[in-house]
Amino acid sequence: MSKIHDAIAELRHAPGVKGAAVVTNDGLVAASSLAAGLDSDVISGLSSYLMMTTNRSLTEGSYGTCSKVLLNATHGKAVFVQLDESYLVVLFDQFAEIAQADREVDETVARIRRASKFS
Amino acid sequence: MHLIQRMKIWKELRRLEHRAKEQPSPSTFVDLGQVYINLGLHNKAERMAEDGLALFPKSIELRQLLDCARRGLRNRRAVELRAKLARSPSPKLFRELALIQMDLGDSNALRATCQQWSMRFPDDAGCWLMLGQARLTNFYRDLAAREGQEAVQCLERAVVMDPTEAQSRRLLSEVLYRVGAVCEAQKHLQVLREIDPADQEVEQLLGHIATLTDTGTDLNVLLDEVESHGSLRNASLQAALPVPSAERSIAEVRAALARVSKLTGVQKVAFIRGSKAIVKGQIKNGRDPFLRIVRVTAKAAHRFARRLDIGSASKTVVEGSFGRICICVFGEALAAALCGDGCDVDQVLSELQELVAGALHAVEE
Repeated sequence: MSKIHDAIAELRHAPGVKGAAVVTNDGLVAASSLAAGLDSDVISGLSSYLMMTTNRSLTEGSYGTCSKVLLNATHGKAVFVQLDESYLVVLFDQFAEIAQADREVDETVARIRRASKFS
Repeated sequence: MHLIQRMKIWKELRRLEHRAKEQPSPSTFVDLGQVYINLGLHNKAERMAEDGLALFPKSIELRQLLDCARRGLRNRRAVELRAKLARSPSPKLFRELALIQMDLGDSNALRATCQQWSMRFPDDAGCWLMLGQARLTNFYRDLAAREGQEAVQCLERAVVMDPTEAQSRRLLSEVLYRVGAVCEAQKHLQVLREIDPADQEVEQLLGHIATLTDTGTDLNVLLDEVESHGSLRNASLQAALPVPSAERSIAEVRAALARVSKLTGVQKVAFIRGSKAIVKGQIKNGRDPFLRIVRVTAKAAHRFARRLDIGSASKTVVEGSFGRICICVFGEALAAALCGDGCDVDQVLSELQELVAGALHAVEE
């Protein structure tokens, strides 16, 4: 578990990243590293709602499930990457370029997957 | 209110004021405005909503806050006017109160005001015009014959009491030609032309109704026909005029959808506004699951962004084994595309953004 923590704590240092969390499919926070003012419970609840709703509508429409969601809002951005039984949530500030942090996000996903397999 | 409660509210108010300054977003302005409204400070809530709209002009919540604040201010003004009328009644005060009640949609209060107005100032035609206007609004909304009859009676009374007053005659002529009494309407319009020969609108109206067929003078029969058919016999002048902007906007949306659908890798494209959708590409009909997926995802993304206080979700990309679904939202307009391999997602997103921005602008026009 500490490896997952380390992975997201490291991701938190990437430019523009305000916070990262690993949330289980049923909405529990497995690990988080968030900027002050961001509540892990709020983020897990909201991201769980977004992922569940999106996946349900995709499955009902015979599209399968999503592997990644990118969200751009007026004052911030977010990336959700589906893992096995959980997903990674990364929050960015509004000026961040998500594409520039792609490599860091992919590395973190790989590290979390490896850590999950060994545990 | 208890002193401690009051202190708590003021403390919360200061916190929200600070938050609105430090982190301006529609929700911070709305939260603060709501507290002002709860404290009865509607003027401050109105100012807050106006400040918020200057920064976030597309925010629906801020518009609702502004509306709520203005309703509160109107209610307060109505109370003041009633007090003034009890002390020193005048037609001017009655007119202002009736206008406020009409804006608030309070028909019972409006009727009571007009009744008092007519009792106090029996020679003033204003009360009949106000009552006629209110009835006419109801008639155009519900197409109920009874409302139409009462509207016509009120307006006719206003015209008899003050034959030189243009507004009541204009409203009367409009309702007459719209239900089919074209010749009757023509008589009133000719009087209006004599009152003000330079009025271009009267000329346009006369030209418009010259093209219509008169279907009788028995108003009760005509109004009953309108009620049973559920539609007015003739269109208004504004509706009869060609409205190229709306048609052009739809044509522009279709052209933009066609352009996006031709981009490499794009399979399906849709433009959605409310319950209406325009589609292009490999979409069979309105029941295609793509439309539902897009709606649901856009709504969930919007909710996520709002609750997290990061504004409105403008662009969302969903990736999976199906490819990529790109969604762009601007106000109430939404455009989405399903992209396969070899698709330039950035180009698709920028095209979709152009589409929704243009469509919203056209709708607002």
